Amino acid sequence: MIEVRELRRAFGGVVALDGVTLTLAEGERRAVIGPNGAGKTTLINTLAGETAPTGGTIRLAGRDITRLRSWQRARLGLAHVYQRTELFASLSARDNVGLAIAARRGPYRVFRAAPRAEYSEGEAVLESVGLAGREGVAARELSHGERRQLELAVALAQRPRVLLLDEPTAGMSPLETARITELIAGLDRALTILIVEHDMDVVFRLADRVTVLHEGRVIADGSAADVRGDVRVHDVYLGKAVTVA
Amino acid sequence: MVRWALVGVAAVVLVTFPYWSAPWVSRFATTLVRDALILAIFALSLDLLVGRAGMPSLGHAAFFGAGAYAAGITGQRLGTDQLPVTLGAAALVGALLALVIGVLVVRSEGIFFLMLTLALAQIVFAIAFQWTALTGGSNGLSGVGRPVLAGIDFSAPDLMYVLVAIAFVLAALVIWGLARSPYGRALSGVRENERRMRALGYDTARLRLSAFVIAGTIAGVAGALSAYSTRFVSAQDAGLANSVRAFVTVLVGGAGTLGGPIVGSALVSLIERVVPSLLPTDLRISEAILGLVFIGFVLFARQGMVGLGRSAYQRVQHR
Repeated sequence: MIEVRELRRAFGGVVALDGVTLTLAEGERRAVIGPNGAGKTTLINTLAGETAPTGGTIRLAGRDITRLRSWQRARLGLAHVYQRTELFASLSARDNVGLAIAARRGPYRVFRAAPRAEYSEGEAVLESVGLAGREGVAARELSHGERRQLELAVALAQRPRVLLLDEPTAGMSPLETARITELIAGLDRALTILIVEHDMDVVFRLADRVTVLHEGRVIADGSAADVRGDVRVHDVYLGKAVTVA
Repeated sequence: MVRWALVGVAAVVLVTFPYWSAPWVSRFATTLVRDALILAIFALSLDLLVGRAGMPSLGHAAFFGAGAYAAGITGQRLGTDQLPVTLGAAALVGALLALVIGVLVVRSEGIFFLMLTLALAQIVFAIAFQWTALTGGSNGLSGVGRPVLAGIDFSAPDLMYVLVAIAFVLAALVIWGLARSPYGRALSGVRENERRMRALGYDTARLRLSAFVIAGTIAGVAGALSAYSTRFVSAQDAGLANSVRAFVTVLVGGAGTLGGPIVGSALVSLIERVVPSLLPTDLRISEAILGLVFIGFVLFARQGMVGLGRSAYQRVQHR
């Protein structure tokens, strides 16, 4: 579903991605781990089209999307959950999700409210992430955990083929983390997921395969079980960002 | 249904103002309300950018002025007073100019957007001021004809008012219809978080451009109505002062609301036209008063008059 070859990105003299190659099969759930500064967020932002690569190619379902803009990639089925919450602060949870649903049909619809079907679809997505009863609340009035839930709801409402999750549980309480983890685990198995996460419980609960990134390079890549063993061995090398369960 | 009936009644009351108000107020009131309604149409169109899409334009008078000239010049050159021709020309020229300027500005944001719109509008003003053969230059374009539609001649002051009032009702309905639809919600999304909108698959540059063109078209219509009303177009119609006036109207009334630009235009018109008559003739300070009112709103009531009204209403409800 996703093929990344020799992806490079430098910020001035700092090389964030130094030739990353990885392939995700359709329906695969891949975690990318590594210490802070390993290039994980840069990888996600480059895949989403928000950071232009300085080299390499990205393919989505066989199509070269390296030069496409983020909104064009979104239309091809990429959805992005940001590390730091990116919502429509003054709009209600319902409208936040509604914008994602409406994106599929385009914004040039005037002189009538959004159709009933979009409305009920939005309610269903909000309920699925645990925001039932909070539909009318402005995004900025929600708690941190709820905003993360809404962030996920917005991405799911896009009905993506590929979901890019950048630390979806960052800053959440253990209870909220468990909840969101189960939610992601229960998503449609046809959905391809790439998740960047520090919480190893979450990683091993969700991922089929794990890629370890360090200083912009892939230093390990394998099944979750393999890398788990590997991580124990390389615990010191990877530093304290990785805490083994 | 009740709501629509009330809107209908309010529209009829507004449109027929000169006919029922005659016993109580002077003829001046009709002129005053007419000009306030033109300002309201202009401000409503600007609010589509400032309030809805978060695009603070300081060059909106370019489209108002272009529409005014387009209506006046096509009427005189083609020797016609037909409303569809002159008003159509105004809307078209407003739209085309907005398309050209819009392509240049929609990718910039905030202060850069503000300065770019200001600079490009100043170019339009300079052209209007210099191109004497077409626009009359510093003398302005005088003798603009009042329009005719289906045998109705809008020359009489009361009928001219009716035309403006109908245009205002239609413009307000259009803005309301845009704001409540998926399109309006998408503009709010661009205002709140453009990056996220792109991540959702929206071509935000095109979305912003579409709003810019719609706003330019409506501003062009407002300019034509102004030209008909005063039978005159001045280069100042396209000038910075007129852009600022619309901007102040939006912010004082309340950006991002339907009522804001409307009540704002009422307040601005009162300050511009009524307050001076209450002051000694050698004390022409209405612009200074307007400036102070603007500063007051920016400092103490960012949400404008509509915001003040809302919070007062909430306070009463909580009591």
